[in-house]
Amino acid sequence: MGTRRKKLNENGVGLYVHLPFCKSKCRYCDFNSYAWTGQSLQSYVDALLIEAEQRIKGLKPQTVFFGGGTPTFLPADLLSQLLEELNRICGFRASSLETTMEANPESVNEERILAILAGGVNRLSIGIQSLQADVLEAYDRVHSPDQARQALALAQQHFQNFSADLIFAFPGQDPERWRLDLAEVLNFAPNHISCYELSYEPGTALTRLRDVGRWNAEDPDLCEYLFKQTGEQCSAAGYQRYEISNFCQPDHQCLHNLAAWQSFDFIGIGAGAASSMAGTRRHNIERPDAYQAVIENGGDPLSREERPNAETVLFEHMLMGMRLTQQGVSRQRAKRQTGLDPWQEYRDQLVDLGQQGLIHADGDLDQICVTPRGALLLDHILMQFLPSASV
Amino acid sequence: MTKNFPPERIRNFSIIAHIDHGKSTLADRFLEITGAVDMRKKQAQMLDSMDLERERGITIKAAAVSLTHVINGEEYLLNLIDTPGHVDFAYEVEKSLQACEGALLLIDAAQGIQAQTVANAMLAMDQDMVVIPVFNKMDLPHARPDEIKDELENTLLLDRDSAIECSAKTGAGITDVLEAIVEQIGPPEGDPNKPLRALIFDAKYDEYRGIVVYLRMVDGKLNKGDWIHMIGAEADYEAIEIGKFMPKPVPHQHLCVGEVGYLISNIKRLEDVRVGDTVTVMKGQRAELLVGYREPQPMVWCGIYPTNSGDFENLRAALKALKLNDSSIIFDPESSDALGFGFRCGFLGLLHMEIVQERLEREGGIDIVQTAPTVPYEVIMNDGTIKVIHSPGELPDPVMFTEIREPVVTVHILVPTESIGPIMKLCTERRGVFMRQEHLSASRVMLTWDMPLSEIIYDFYDRLKSGTKGYGTMNFDEPHFEVGNLVKLRILVNGIEADALSLICHADSSQRRGRAVLQKLLKEIPRHQFQIPLQAAVGGKIMARENIRALSKNVTAKCYGGDITRKRKLLEKQKEGKKRMKSIGNVEVPQKAFLAVLATDD
Ligand SMILES: Nc1nc2c(ncn2[C@@H]2O[C@H](COP(=O)(O)OP(=O)(O)OP(=O)(O)O)[C@@H](O)[C@H]2O)c(=O)[nH]1
Ligand code: SF4
Ligand SMILES: [Mg+2]
Repeated sequence: MGTRRKKLNENGVGLYVHLPFCKSKCRYCDFNSYAWTGQSLQSYVDALLIEAEQRIKGLKPQTVFFGGGTPTFLPADLLSQLLEELNRICGFRASSLETTMEANPESVNEERILAILAGGVNRLSIGIQSLQADVLEAYDRVHSPDQARQALALAQQHFQNFSADLIFAFPGQDPERWRLDLAEVLNFAPNHISCYELSYEPGTALTRLRDVGRWNAEDPDLCEYLFKQTGEQCSAAGYQRYEISNFCQPDHQCLHNLAAWQSFDFIGIGAGAASSMAGTRRHNIERPDAYQAVIENGGDPLSREERPNAETVLFEHMLMGMRLTQQGVSRQRAKRQTGLDPWQEYRDQLVDLGQQGLIHADGDLDQICVTPRGALLLDHILMQFLPSASV
Repeated sequence: MTKNFPPERIRNFSIIAHIDHGKSTLADRFLEITGAVDMRKKQAQMLDSMDLERERGITIKAAAVSLTHVINGEEYLLNLIDTPGHVDFAYEVEKSLQACEGALLLIDAAQGIQAQTVANAMLAMDQDMVVIPVFNKMDLPHARPDEIKDELENTLLLDRDSAIECSAKTGAGITDVLEAIVEQIGPPEGDPNKPLRALIFDAKYDEYRGIVVYLRMVDGKLNKGDWIHMIGAEADYEAIEIGKFMPKPVPHQHLCVGEVGYLISNIKRLEDVRVGDTVTVMKGQRAELLVGYREPQPMVWCGIYPTNSGDFENLRAALKALKLNDSSIIFDPESSDALGFGFRCGFLGLLHMEIVQERLEREGGIDIVQTAPTVPYEVIMNDGTIKVIHSPGELPDPVMFTEIREPVVTVHILVPTESIGPIMKLCTERRGVFMRQEHLSASRVMLTWDMPLSEIIYDFYDRLKSGTKGYGTMNFDEPHFEVGNLVKLRILVNGIEADALSLICHADSSQRRGRAVLQKLLKEIPRHQFQIPLQAAVGGKIMARENIRALSKNVTAKCYGGDITRKRKLLEKQKEGKKRMKSIGNVEVPQKAFLAVLATDD
């Protein structure tokens, strides 16, 4: 556990880099990711670098996050090239407090790890999801439990700072089996761990299976039980739940995401990447082939852009900030960032939610934060802040 | 082609059959053969022009079209009406037949005579019209025309040699059918010298041109520009445009005896056009009213409410516009604690109810909530008067009445001989009283039972189908009322009685029904912040109870920088969904839950 480096700056910018390819597509996955079908990875990286030249020259981001897809799907030499060139373009090695790359067990090996370490990545986030062979198979994951263990061991060996992703609430999951999975992963002493409840996003294979009755629907009572058990287990191991689904050792939050949950600016490059800069939301074209084609023709891969009004910006500020179960939303910072005062906009709701014991809210305090019970009902809480559409 | 035909060159006929026996497909072949449609624009079941008909693959409304065809060197005008086959739309068939002199009774050569074949044939024979049996789908390898000829003789007393064989799919035999129409069906009767009389057999609302009136000419002549008088509605209009459906509307200068066509008079007042009314000329001799249409008797009733209470008047307007096009709907304003102001509506069956609801939403653009359907009941009050109720909420206090009578119908069920056992068992379970059994042919029988309407209107047909491997069909006539041991099953949500969910049922089945309804509510009502007790009670006695557990978790697992807009929209959608719910006390109930009474216990 190293001591904490510098603090995030409210006016700093995060950089997100999207690498959309995976070995195959997992059933629950609704990311902008694609099973690789042989297209040139070099061409994608080339396009990405052209976009970088156009949009992030000299950016000096305070955090960097390589997400996917599976960034480690790229071969080591291509990863080195990408990191080298990006650094030349935006100077992240000097400026970034934390440079994370996502990885999946089947593609993590020493060669790639050495390449990205040399390229400036100082945090690895590995998608483990489960250590049960049958569960991994049901999700259509392409790695075995043993590959996952090896990946964790490699990360532990090479990274000062690494994280693991897990999914719980597989239909009918035995809480004890989940506890053992989580314990085994915690044994590798990751600095950070994300535990997501399996979710059924629109359009995924899993949701379709469930809707046609070939996959058991979620059981709300089991989900709740596992959510709580997970919190207790992590806490006993010295990890704090700092966000709904994220736990860390003291001072090891994922800075890049922490910035986003606080609505700091970020800029995303690559297929489908989102940006939020000075009040403007931007999304890139999602399909990698279309994204590449536009760039190759000298164009901007912009798909859509919007400037939400102040009310919407404040709502989104709450939507993101209330996820931070320990720090919540700061009234003063919300005012600075959105121009609106949550205590003015949502007074009645805040008082009401406070009385119901779902949030700690006090007009005299700067902080608006969920209680443990409120954390479980966050969507319900947020809905209270939505402007009720006119009848 | 805008000429007129003398009556002897006109034939008016309907195509009638059991559902799916190929009526609309046969009409397609007629349209093709007579050159009424451009071959490049053709599509299957062309007369099924409503979106709902095309989506569901069934005919819902009768559709009229005029064709011309040359036989033996003479050109004839053939006015055909394609009718629906589903039992709920028998009234459409009845109305159509009234505008015709003959009917093609289509019979699927593989399936043979089915319940609606018999029922529709009877309707035609009752009106003494020529019925030409036509065996369709002769292309099917398992067509069994010889056996069906037996059925024809035994069931309908029709000559086995009168049947014409054809395939609406391949086109084989179609010209034989056209020839038979001209030879066997008589020309329309009517006097060209008498004052104008025409029957309004259908109508629809057109936003731009006002109401389009569908006419069958009986006496006299209608000229473009004539001033006309609707006898029943006592309204006068100018015939701005008249014409025929060929199948697109084609304007004509005149409509003569026996012809079928339309009239446009820029009519905007819905009350002025009544299906079944008679059109005559405004000036001159007074003409007598034609025999109009019988008022159909609704079989099921339910409440229809706007989702947004502000839409009440829009809903009324939409119902009125729909009634013009579907005169079998009945509606009256009512109100409910949970649902506010709406209408109690009567329908000819559950499919009819579903179709009306969809048409209101699509054509009227209104979101609606519908309450549990129920059959009507007669309540005999202490003073001997009879009160007819159309919703469980209308049932008076038990001390005020002596008995409740429920509708009972005579059901004809056609099944293969080997399924007699299971069907007899099903009917007994459903409180049926066996009447008789008749053999149609070596392998098929007709069973006749008297049964409470409430026992057959919901899932009986599905059970019949599954008990006969799909081969059973049924039909029933209008009900009569008989005393039953009936009780009101009250449904309480969080301690509050919800009339919109309550139902009337037989005392013996109240517990079973109560459990089924609660199970369904358990599934449909989302969890709330608090626990919600559900109870089903008869009087003060609780027959079943359940609890909807409190919602204790509702949180999105994953949300990162790239998702903000999408997650916000998801929450907005959730909130929007809540707004569309109705509240019973402090419980938000989604629309689907109001149909919980349809839940069965198996
Ligand atoms: N093989 C075969 N199939 C046919 C024939 N005629 C109709 N069909 C098929 O039977 C099905 C029903 O045809 P429709 O013409 O819609 O039947 P309908 O009698 O108009 O049905 P409703 O209006 O709903 O009562 C369709 O799938 C047709 O393609 C035929 O001669 N041979
Ligand atoms: S590896 Fe990750 S990004 Fe790729 S398909 Fe699976 S879940 Fe989605
Ligand atoms: Mg049809």
